[in-house]
Amino acid sequence: MFKINKKIVVSVSTVAVLSLGLSACMENVSPTKSPVQTKKGIDGGLSYPVINGKTSLYDVNEQVAKDAKKIHYGRVPTAAEYAAWNTDIMPDGTGLPEGEGTADEGSDIYDAKCVMCHGDFGSGGGGYPALSKGNAYELQKTLTNQRLKPDEDGPVRVFGSYWPQASTLWWYIKDAMPHPFTGSLTDNQVYSLVAFILNANEMKIDGVEVDDDYILNRASFLKIKMPNRYGFEPDIYGPKGPENVRKYYADPHNFGGQTYNVKKPASRCMTNCQEPTAKVVYIQNGGISDFHPPLSQVRSLPKVKNTGFNAEKAYTANCAMCHGAEGMGAPVLGNKAEWAAIISKGKSKAYSNGIHGINGMPPKGGSDLSDNDFESVVDYMISKSK
Amino acid sequence: MINNLIKEKIVDIKKSQQDLDSFDTKSISNSRRDFLAKTAALSATALAGTSLLASEKGDPVILEPTIWGTKWGNPVTENLYGMPSKYEHNVIRRYSKLLSSGNYRASIAVTPIQDLSGIITPNGLFFSRCHGGVAQIDPNEHRLMITGLVDKPLVLTMKQLKRYPSVTRTHFIECPANGGQEWRGPQYNSLQFAKGFMSCAQWTGVYIKDILADLGLKPDATWMLAEGGDSSHMGRTIPIDKVLDDAMIVWGQNGEALRPEQGYPIRLLVPGWEGNLCVKWLRRLDFANGPWACKEETAKYTVLKPTGKAIQHFYANEVNSTVTSPCPEIDWTDLKDGDIVEIEGLAWSGMGTITGVDLSYDGGKNYVEAKLKGLILPKCWTRWSYMHTYKEGQELLLTSRARDDDGNIQPTIDQEELVVGVEAVYHRNAVETWKVEKDGKVTHVEVRSQLDRKGKGPLFIEGKV
Repeated sequence: MFKINKKIVVSVSTVAVLSLGLSACMENVSPTKSPVQTKKGIDGGLSYPVINGKTSLYDVNEQVAKDAKKIHYGRVPTAAEYAAWNTDIMPDGTGLPEGEGTADEGSDIYDAKCVMCHGDFGSGGGGYPALSKGNAYELQKTLTNQRLKPDEDGPVRVFGSYWPQASTLWWYIKDAMPHPFTGSLTDNQVYSLVAFILNANEMKIDGVEVDDDYILNRASFLKIKMPNRYGFEPDIYGPKGPENVRKYYADPHNFGGQTYNVKKPASRCMTNCQEPTAKVVYIQNGGISDFHPPLSQVRSLPKVKNTGFNAEKAYTANCAMCHGAEGMGAPVLGNKAEWAAIISKGKSKAYSNGIHGINGMPPKGGSDLSDNDFESVVDYMISKSK
Repeated sequence: MINNLIKEKIVDIKKSQQDLDSFDTKSISNSRRDFLAKTAALSATALAGTSLLASEKGDPVILEPTIWGTKWGNPVTENLYGMPSKYEHNVIRRYSKLLSSGNYRASIAVTPIQDLSGIITPNGLFFSRCHGGVAQIDPNEHRLMITGLVDKPLVLTMKQLKRYPSVTRTHFIECPANGGQEWRGPQYNSLQFAKGFMSCAQWTGVYIKDILADLGLKPDATWMLAEGGDSSHMGRTIPIDKVLDDAMIVWGQNGEALRPEQGYPIRLLVPGWEGNLCVKWLRRLDFANGPWACKEETAKYTVLKPTGKAIQHFYANEVNSTVTSPCPEIDWTDLKDGDIVEIEGLAWSGMGTITGVDLSYDGGKNYVEAKLKGLILPKCWTRWSYMHTYKEGQELLLTSRARDDDGNIQPTIDQEELVVGVEAVYHRNAVETWKVEKDGKVTHVEVRSQLDRKGKGPLFIEGKV
């Protein structure tokens, strides 16, 4: 109890000292004319401490701050409960379990569970992110690219070339992948998939190439050095991290911001505030107008919905992404050989597999279709593949 | 360096406002003459002693009885949870395939701010962003666990959480990718898509500091992880300063429970900061002495500059504004020459309280001061407006520019991009421009210079080394 109070005091006084050096505590030029107390926050913005029972325009019940330490709701979690949810992996390896796997093993898991969204060798597809675009060390050098004109190359921001920490990948795969079945991979499977992705990014650990047979385990994982580890600002790591953040955002020029004199607002630019070179730029080639539903200001009775279900359209919207092309791991529409095996087991088996999901396919392909409509789509796909 | 590029000129604001007013006055007197000329014939036959028009005809919706004016309405037993009028069915969130991964489970649906009034977004229209679909959580089976560098770790049921003393605050939440598709030029001829990755609501919940008071935060607890209980288990790292300042766990939104799209039963609220930090379906807070490097604070939500360095942990949404009326969706094609019309807009800043908004008729070259309206609260949408006299056939470039009590003012596109380039994706807050065409239609444009670069050097304005 004492510690928290002390902590608040420490943190507030740090702010006070720092703000003297950077930007003095200012009285707000509030449109309400009432002086509002503010202090500079870690984000470069202002916060509004409670002064005389008020924070900004809000009244505050100050009894709460006094009584809060006497509130003892809830209970202490059990060790098992803590372990069940404490699945995060920190950059220093805290939380990373033992286990091992190879890129070769990862390749099989990837083909079964990942390729339908992330494409061959992590090349991306279907709107899902790419995991690799080639050699991480070479691609990291593209981060200074700016695509100012359509024919210029932009920066490549994939795991190998951009991410600062490998721990993020392990943690994210374990907790949040595969997208329709999160939390379903074993630790060894995650090690294998990480090895596969390191391999696809042509990465090395301790100078050794992560080839098909490289055994990735906890010890070797902790030796991974990401090419773009120091590509980020401000430096958030170590005991100075929070103060680095505070200093960085205290200077708006670090992030393209502009300032004016709060005490003399009339001094802000009111005439000739644009570059003389500035021109009116219009939307090119129609821009983005893929809006659903289409924009409308009409105030009318809604149209009666056509209840006639169109299986072909539903297929295109929900299934074609994986079933429409080779190499996605799903039986391709019109491929009689692939579908013969499914048809031979009976339609009800095909319905059930599709409704509940099978291999890399999420339940109903991730669609919102009702069971009936989904079965119509299966019928349509079978009819096109006989 | 950027400051030197544009030489700020101190001017008499009142004078530039007078210039505009005197222009308006001329067009008012012209249009008044037009109106009198047009209605002269009818006025001549006006009934003696009244100013009504002499005719037995008129608008049938006035002259004829209506169904709703003569028959019973619905009993109160219908719609026990109220719904908007069926005539408002076009006032909805909208989505785009380009803003989605695959099947709309990692996606966004954006708010129709063109159709909103005031500073509160109705719960059904609040923008919706998720990474693993909109989780439908049973509150009876949801817990909040607080662990890590605290003397007493804690697990709470939702009922226990709501026993804590509550705080109610009105704040916007903005996705930092709002406007993020338009770094190289305008893309959306739509206010909903150009600026609708944000909404504003009155939130009710508990300050995290009021929960921590009993738990004994250890002195080396410098960072907090907030993690969701949905299938994406999205997490973000928050510095302890914000946690102990105004970070909240909220369960109430505009007087009712959060909607599932907003993280029912509970979400984190870090006022003014990136919407992504306001973790939905919140189930775990963990305290440590270092940051976590979550996927959404490394792979995404980082701002890559031309130097090749990316800004990380970019928390606050900077000062920003937009004209909401007119806009591409609600244009001025129905206005007559000389009509007096209110130009209205929104301003907001995650760094403080809006102190003023300027309006430009020429795309941000010259400005007049607009008026703020209604409640002016920190880290909250603020309404502003300016009265205008519509002149038929006149093209306008309407640009708004907001400023806040922290000393921030919106940059021009050139000012912002010379520092952060065009690959930033996030945190775009340069001024925005609508062009009012001669026929009153409104289109989205940008007023900007062509940027250039030598090798990997800094960006500069083309032809101006």
